[in-house]
Amino acid sequence: MEANRTKRRSKPSPAGAERRKVKPLQKVRTHIQGLDEILEGGLPARRTALIVGASGTGKSVLGLEFLYRGALNGEPGIFIGFEESAEAIRKNAATLGWDLASLERKNKLFLMEARVSPDTVISGKFSLKGLLAIIDGKRKELRAKRIVIDAIEVLLRLFDDPGRMRSELHTLNDWLGEQGMTAILTVKPGRGASPSIYEEFLDSMADSVIALDQRVTNRVTTRSLRVVKCRGSSYGRNEYPFVITEDGIVVVPITTVGLMHKPFGKKVSTGNSRLDSILGGGYPRGSCVLFVGEQGTGKTLFVSIFVESVCSRGEKVLYVSFEESEEMMIHNLLSAGVDLRPARNSGRLEFITAYPESMGPEEHLIKMLNRIDAFHPDHVVVDAISACERMGGRQAAFDYLMRAINACKARGITILLTNQSRGRKDFTEISGNGISSLVDTVIRLEYVRLVGETNRILEVMKTRGSAHSTQKHEYVISDTGIDILDVYAGEGGLLTGTARLEQEVKEAIKARQREMEIKMKEREIKHLKAELETESARLREAVQTAELELAKLRLEQELEEQLQHIRKKIRGMNLNSIKDTLRKRNPERRRKGRKGATK
Amino acid sequence: MFISGNTTQSHRSIAVLRQICEEELKGVCKLNIINVTERPELAEQERILATPTLVKETPPHSQRIIGDLSNKEKILKWININSK
Repeated sequence: MEANRTKRRSKPSPAGAERRKVKPLQKVRTHIQGLDEILEGGLPARRTALIVGASGTGKSVLGLEFLYRGALNGEPGIFIGFEESAEAIRKNAATLGWDLASLERKNKLFLMEARVSPDTVISGKFSLKGLLAIIDGKRKELRAKRIVIDAIEVLLRLFDDPGRMRSELHTLNDWLGEQGMTAILTVKPGRGASPSIYEEFLDSMADSVIALDQRVTNRVTTRSLRVVKCRGSSYGRNEYPFVITEDGIVVVPITTVGLMHKPFGKKVSTGNSRLDSILGGGYPRGSCVLFVGEQGTGKTLFVSIFVESVCSRGEKVLYVSFEESEEMMIHNLLSAGVDLRPARNSGRLEFITAYPESMGPEEHLIKMLNRIDAFHPDHVVVDAISACERMGGRQAAFDYLMRAINACKARGITILLTNQSRGRKDFTEISGNGISSLVDTVIRLEYVRLVGETNRILEVMKTRGSAHSTQKHEYVISDTGIDILDVYAGEGGLLTGTARLEQEVKEAIKARQREMEIKMKEREIKHLKAELETESARLREAVQTAELELAKLRLEQELEEQLQHIRKKIRGMNLNSIKDTLRKRNPERRRKGRKGATK
Repeated sequence: MFISGNTTQSHRSIAVLRQICEEELKGVCKLNIINVTERPELAEQERILATPTLVKETPPHSQRIIGDLSNKEKILKWININSK
């Protein structure tokens, strides 16, 4: 199968290369949103493109849009349908807002129904000259440049001889090219495992092949488009989801858009001054902020406070709600003191409300992007991304969110997401699925359950490129919005609610007790010091008294000695005996004095 | 009968048809031969994609046979069944 394909592909390429040398490959714009980007300019001019897809994949619409947009842009076209009547085609087109009848009147479009009547009998050989003659006649009349042959397999089934079929089709193909027409053939693949003869043949004949697919995952339908080949040109090789919107096909060429995020702007106030200070000023403009928390933690309230705040300053917000209707949401928020009515009435706030399962992720995305490009909001809210899984599973949710965030970031739009987590640890449920790298700020809202009551706690888990508080903060939802309380970081860990109040009172009492103890001690010391001073004064006095007493005693002794001396004199003491005593005393003194000098 | 240009296919089918008309349906049929390359508007009107195509206009619910009428018996059968 693979070998077969390469063989087929390699055969005609030298011819293509030769042709390319002569003239650069010209492209014809399809004017279908997103498709020209994937085809890098459009379909090869004057060549045949094949669109393969099962019924209901959008082949006819794609072909018809090629003609419709072409006709509007000055290139008339011919549509030949082997399945539907012209009237049915006109009606289908009208549902997409395309007025084919007026283009037909202006000779810019020709619809031909070429259904083969079931009682037509085939006998012997035949050619497609009739078809060619009709096309040629119309081509001249309209100066048609484009042609779509829808459901060509119906025509090809008429042939009982594959050889003849091929030669007839080659004639048709070559002839169309010669006439300067760019053709689209649509074909349904065979039901069997192996491709039918005409498929293989068409594949090799066509210069470009586009495969359309439609899948149902989790009951949501997703259409996708893939360019299988495009001779002589490069092209986007991925499978691209596409949507049939109110005005035609939109292909979402996600991968052709590189990561072109704008740098963050200044901080925007969150609408709550405490939260601003926690986040170091607010949400960075153009960043992605995620609120994660269980039901009822106030995720919607937090974003709504922001919405009310920015709208009051004249900025615009697009609110995508997957959970509540616009009226319901506005009404519910009133009870929390948030009034979004002025914002909505002034046209600064617009809503997109839809059930996630109502459409596939692509349709949701395109609806949102179209509104963004029409409304030019400064901020976008998606509430809640957890509901996105209902668009068709985890992958669908991821596809949607990744592109939505990218689109906002590329436009410098702030995007706020809310995510409902079922338990405590699964905040990474979606954000862990790859979008976490696109989320710049994660604010986690949590319940703390104590005996008899439940309290709410807020924690900033991450903020890119900014300082922020890492502490847990208790907050209270009241009828005037949200009050974020002081960080409680006392002993015994984190407490909330009444327990927190109780603890605070206890702490206060303890603190006062300590204070008083200190004061008492201080007074004691003062007292002791005073005591010390009086005591020391008293002792000093005692010392002084003692010293005085000592001096007095010494004086008394001296007086006594002098009195004795005087008494001795008066009593007539022997003079010689006095001289003797003096002599004895003197040498003793001299010796003592010399000893002291030699020392 | 719608044919395209001067081809062997055209000649063969015209010859077969003429023969049938003379041998089997003498006097009850009228044969028109239209060349689609000359009259594309008629081909468009009748939505003739393939040539040769034989269109039987009466009875009013028209019937068609595509091909070069190489199988004469098949054609006779077709005419007879449908003319009943």
